Amino acid sequence: MTEPTSIERRRLLGAATASGALAALGAPFVSRAQAKPIKIGMPTILSGRVAQLGTSSRNAVMMEVEKFNAAGGLGGRQIEMVVRDSKGQPQEAARVSRELINSDGCEILFDCEASSGAFAVHEVVRDLGVLCLHNISETSALSADPKIRIPNAFRTARQGIHDSIAGANYAAAIAKAKKLDRWMTCSPDYAYGRDTTAEFLEYLKTFHPGVEVAGEAWPKLFQPDYTEVVTRLLQGKPQAVYSCLWGGDLVSFIDQGNIYALFGQTQFFTVNMADYTTLTAVKNLPAGMHTGNRYVKVFPANPGNAAWGDAYFAKYKEYPTNWSWECQLGMQFLTTAMKKTNSTDGKKIAEALRGMKVDSPFGADGTITMRGEDQTIIGYATGWGTTLAQDPYVKDVQAGDWKQILQHEAEWKKKKGYV
Amino acid sequence: MSARGDAMSTPGASPRGRVRRAASSGRDLLVAAAGLAVLVVLPFVFSSPLLLDFMIRLAAFAIYATSLNILIGYGGMVSFGHGMFFGAGAYSFALLMQKTGVSIPVAIVGSVAYCAVLALVVGVICVRLKEIYFSFLTLAFQMLVHSVIISWVTLTGGDQGLTGGIPRPPFLGIDLGEPRPMYWFAATVAVLCLLAMRHLMQSPFGYTLRMVRDNAERAQFLGIQVARIRLAAFVIAGCFGGIGGMLMALFVSGAFPEFAYWTTSGEAVFMILMGGAARFLGPATGAVMLLLLSDLITRFTEFHGIVLGVTVLVFALVFRRGVTDFIAQALGRSRAA
Amino acid sequence: MDPSALASCFASLSCVVTQTTSGLIIGALLFLVAAGLTLIFGVLGVVNFTHGSFYMLGAYFAYSAYVASGSFALAIAAGALGVAAFGLVFERVFMRRVYGSDVLMQLLVCYAFILILDDVVKMVWGPEFKSMGVPDAFRMPPVSVAGGVVPAFYLFLIGATAVIALALWVVLVKTRLGKVVRAAAINPQMTSALGVNTGAIYGAVFAVGSLLAGLAGALAAPVRSVAPGMGFSILIESFIVTVIGGMGSVSGALVGALLIGLVRSFGSIGFPLFVEGIMFLAMAVILVVKPSGLLGREAAR
Repeated sequence: MTEPTSIERRRLLGAATASGALAALGAPFVSRAQAKPIKIGMPTILSGRVAQLGTSSRNAVMMEVEKFNAAGGLGGRQIEMVVRDSKGQPQEAARVSRELINSDGCEILFDCEASSGAFAVHEVVRDLGVLCLHNISETSALSADPKIRIPNAFRTARQGIHDSIAGANYAAAIAKAKKLDRWMTCSPDYAYGRDTTAEFLEYLKTFHPGVEVAGEAWPKLFQPDYTEVVTRLLQGKPQAVYSCLWGGDLVSFIDQGNIYALFGQTQFFTVNMADYTTLTAVKNLPAGMHTGNRYVKVFPANPGNAAWGDAYFAKYKEYPTNWSWECQLGMQFLTTAMKKTNSTDGKKIAEALRGMKVDSPFGADGTITMRGEDQTIIGYATGWGTTLAQDPYVKDVQAGDWKQILQHEAEWKKKKGYV
Repeated sequence: MSARGDAMSTPGASPRGRVRRAASSGRDLLVAAAGLAVLVVLPFVFSSPLLLDFMIRLAAFAIYATSLNILIGYGGMVSFGHGMFFGAGAYSFALLMQKTGVSIPVAIVGSVAYCAVLALVVGVICVRLKEIYFSFLTLAFQMLVHSVIISWVTLTGGDQGLTGGIPRPPFLGIDLGEPRPMYWFAATVAVLCLLAMRHLMQSPFGYTLRMVRDNAERAQFLGIQVARIRLAAFVIAGCFGGIGGMLMALFVSGAFPEFAYWTTSGEAVFMILMGGAARFLGPATGAVMLLLLSDLITRFTEFHGIVLGVTVLVFALVFRRGVTDFIAQALGRSRAA
Repeated sequence: MDPSALASCFASLSCVVTQTTSGLIIGALLFLVAAGLTLIFGVLGVVNFTHGSFYMLGAYFAYSAYVASGSFALAIAAGALGVAAFGLVFERVFMRRVYGSDVLMQLLVCYAFILILDDVVKMVWGPEFKSMGVPDAFRMPPVSVAGGVVPAFYLFLIGATAVIALALWVVLVKTRLGKVVRAAAINPQMTSALGVNTGAIYGAVFAVGSLLAGLAGALAAPVRSVAPGMGFSILIESFIVTVIGGMGSVSGALVGALLIGLVRSFGSIGFPLFVEGIMFLAMAVILVVKPSGLLGREAAR
């Protein structure tokens, strides 16, 4: 658990500002010598509560872009990322996206906004017709809802519905084995929390009909105090608890639950524990918690994943996040499509992306596919395992079965009226 | 910061007052016409889409900030919760367009009506309180509106906002789906709204409002129903604030809970601070300044909080007045708006 | 709404004990922050909107002190005294300039500082959340009280807050200093004319108020994640508490904080979705019916 000291951070900041300033000046000398750069706009969140989303995304993107440029780029043309901070406000995301396309000459939009920002960017892209990759938003409606979907926007992030099906399957097996019939939930009260929890419970009941939900707690997002939630869970005496709390909220909840000895008495199923920032921040990580994976080096257990995680750590002195691998994947899809069509034309790239399969260390079987019909990725590794108090932090990770996921997803789409 | 105007002047009573008022409203009309002409011609001179986008947002915020100044500068009522009308206007307009398929003018009227009712309900409870308690209660109501927007997911989309875009069926031959007509529409709405607010503030109602601001007790003794005047001001401010929100909803083609958050209220206050509360065009000037500042800061640093905070401190503690106040002083006009 | 769950909780002693103590816990930290806020308003007449940021600074100071030294006592001292010093400087340099101005100016200065402090904290400590962890002295299973459970750390928290509340009461009511402070609150000109250095009183009171907020942050740091912007939610809650209890009344802050704590704690069982709404409703009702709050005297300003 190494964190950059303030001196290192200031130096990083200084270097970043200097190179940013140079990039802003456009370094005219350089561009005259080379072919015209491929400008890609990246609206993201670099400040505020969720600043890590933007910084870890940008890190992963730059790593991938540098690799691409060093290998010659696209026929000598190098990618130039133009990263802008939307401060986490969707109207800023819309403004910044329009600015990137209209004034900064970006041909493609690499959207790294969270869900409400992504919807705002989506409307801009619908209006201006530019190619856009959504790399962060996990809201299924962005790609599944035909009223929202547009031919020039693709999603290279995981989807809530896939994770819920896989998680419920894992949980149902354990519930059957250990007779966990009385459940409670504790999830943040906003769209992600509500939708994910509802989907998980629905599929849990499908896979293991004996389940009874004794109560649902809905703390507010970024709420500091979980005491009343913890005591309510204690009173309810559930055999298992599901939570999709994440980040600082999950850490607070575990810290506060620990002093009430909450975790000795129930089995915990938390979607977002397996993320290095969270894992290293929790002081007394209870062993044996069930967790889904956000990003860990050991799952999928292949050398490519570990190598990428180590390379990221070597460069940035911190471990990648879930957002990081999604952005790496997005950039990989983009550069692969550009090379395949030998062009930066949005329509041609979109055509190439539909149905494209790439080799990826984050794939369940070593590959990830961009499904053509709704332009979102499938086949990425989603798994659940149990926690350990120290590195590697998770063990016995079971991968989700994609055949099952896709089958249930198809039924879900029918039920929602998306087909 | 709020200008303590000359409470002795109550024009409108005397014939000379009527003439003076007519002359000033004629002048306002001229200024508005000239301003509109410049704005209409602008895209032919500068064809930059960045400029048009900026002006559309400026239109929304100029109306919104000026509407808040009706309360703060002219009414002496410091509302911390004005964002609730920005959000209410945006959501009501967007919902009407998305769900009911009415034409844009009908949706505008519906949205304004909704904001008027909201302002009436909230205002009736708030305007009787004095000073800090009024401020707190408006803040509390805004937080309530915000939490309703977040919780009523089936109607508002919750924290993700209204997704799917706002349909823009052409009306009267105007197609707001095209960038230039959208800009002209926003510019015209802004000029008309500012003109309307100016007219209201220069009318007997406006001067009565100022009298209530300066000395409510004295106004009461003169037979003025203070609560009713304050409520009327609150409703007017709420309606125009909603129109600002409506323009923003058109710009982003949606509505988000952030529109009704306290940070939006804070932005309007910053605009009034930087532009000046004493002159009518102060808040609009402040809107230009704040938009320019915040658009530029994020290009250069992630620490926009420090830059904005220091700027506010400089204006609040060093300058102690807004830009238009400086200009007015320089021009030698000491008469308060 | 789940009235049956609430009823069955009232029927069970262990539930009542657990929920009451959790209400006390929530109320304790809230009281510390609100007491400082209400003290500053009562004596100086300013609404210190930066109070939430003081709480945040207290948490960060405590976190750093704990990481550096491993001593929780030192962490508490760092949080409390560090913020007290900062508050004193803040009052001398900035707040003094806006004492006479209207509330808008005070709001603007404070809001500017909220923005600045959030970014400064991000620059120094980084944007990700930090976790201090419960000190080893308190790493034990929760204490069993009449069938209910209370974590040892929270017992310490409640105890510490009770001691501070008592100390505040004793100083304000029983000592001469307290009388002088209350006099300065009611009539500063007269107090000054009687030879009291009201400027020093103002500085001292602001420092004490900030100390309370910093102390609250330091006490909360072991169990809450420390992140930029963490001051906002406790600021809003402490406003609700001070309005309900009465702006300027420390005992009102105690009553209000306990009330809010109990409402949240029992509310999470009986009416979890309406807890926030009820709090705002209560604030609105008080503002309309008795703006000076439950225990506040009619505002002399």
